Amino acid sequence: MGLLKGQIDIAPCTVEVVHVFEELSAHVRLDDGSVIHPGDSVTVSGAPVIAGYGESVTERRTATIRRAGPLRRAWTRLTGDLEFMELCEFSFSEDLKLEDAA
Amino acid sequence: MNAQTDVRPERAIDSEATTAMATESHMLNPRFYTTDFDEMDRIDVTPVRADWDALLAQMKSDPNKGHFKKNEEWDAIDWEGMEPALKAEFIDFLVSSCTAEFSGCVLYKEMKRRGTNPDICELFSYMSRDEARHAGFINDALREAGIAVNLGFLTREKKYTYFRPKFIYYATYLSEKIGYARYITIFRHLEAHPEHRFHPIFKWFREWCNDEFSHGEAFALLMRTDPKLTAGRNVLWIRFFLTAVYATMWVRDHARPRFHEALGVDIDWYDQEVFRKTSAIASQVFPVELDIDHPAWVPTLKRLERAMVDMEGARARGGLGGLLGKLGAGARAGACFVRLYTLPVKRRTPPESVRMEPAY
Repeated sequence: MGLLKGQIDIAPCTVEVVHVFEELSAHVRLDDGSVIHPGDSVTVSGAPVIAGYGESVTERRTATIRRAGPLRRAWTRLTGDLEFMELCEFSFSEDLKLEDAA
Repeated sequence: MNAQTDVRPERAIDSEATTAMATESHMLNPRFYTTDFDEMDRIDVTPVRADWDALLAQMKSDPNKGHFKKNEEWDAIDWEGMEPALKAEFIDFLVSSCTAEFSGCVLYKEMKRRGTNPDICELFSYMSRDEARHAGFINDALREAGIAVNLGFLTREKKYTYFRPKFIYYATYLSEKIGYARYITIFRHLEAHPEHRFHPIFKWFREWCNDEFSHGEAFALLMRTDPKLTAGRNVLWIRFFLTAVYATMWVRDHARPRFHEALGVDIDWYDQEVFRKTSAIASQVFPVELDIDHPAWVPTLKRLERAMVDMEGARARGGLGGLLGKLGAGARAGACFVRLYTLPVKRRTPPESVRMEPAY
């Protein structure tokens, strides 16, 4: 606890993965209405969620929300904008040199 | 639908089969964001209601629903016979594009879930649908190349960063419109030079980029709901976004020479052409346009590109020499960016009616 780290909340969640030709998507929904704030971290418990090709998987899990303290929250609000390039797509990765595919 | 999906074995077996077939996997690594959802809930589309309703009706009708299917147009690809350098660059293209579509899908769905404004929620549900569809289509092309997606991120710790809504509008608007310009320019080029079409996915680019175009239209309308977003100090932000996005695109495209050579595309020409189309479209909402014909524009981009390559080289070298090299190259890159940002811009008066149709 403190300015950087806040409390830890546990929330039930639903993980939905669709891995079919028509759609590739994955979402985590917090089922108790918990709200994520800037700087918080969320970890879904349990083994990796596996959805083979052609499958749609919905699993109930538990999410651990590590709340950001007031300082971290303020800092994330202040500086998050600087990462705006993450929102843009450029067709290619940022690696200027690629390893040749063997 | 792909024949491989007709049989659904138990998950363990299916997962094993996927692993056996795939020679490598690519980790989807989307970023997670929050924004000021209250501010987004307060958006009132009344000033653009007629255009908004028409656009959303078009998105609801889902004109591209039947487009993303493999048919006889999808030629077989000899992945094994593909030249390794081209293969590496093309796979980077597919993986990056798939990740971008996937991240868009995650972001838009999150916005739809967190919001309460019915207009905004409806918009984000259609955009999320389109991005998930595009991601699925690219994913299939990757599977053909023996590359499987890895969803390991789902159970990893995810840190949520924050963007102000206006940053999301500027960045995603520009990203969607530049995406349209990139895809349509390649599509038209390959229409004229089909001998350079080394993979069938390029045949799908026209309808694909129409989705990107209409997503961009939605953000243009959103920006029109509040005149402050494109006036005053925000004009400096818009210039900054345009410069950063154009410069990044230039550097990344020039780092993929084999991909563009195989397409028969001169990268300098292609990038300038994409900037030109994007600028013409963006005049629908942005009050400034970068002067890409300014005598210093291309030479400064080329210097920036060299500085970025030097920086990468210095990073790879490591040690004290590498660190110094990185600092020096970084300073050169920074100076180039400042030069590009401060080049005189062209003032534009956005038209009364914001809506545009894809015309290229």
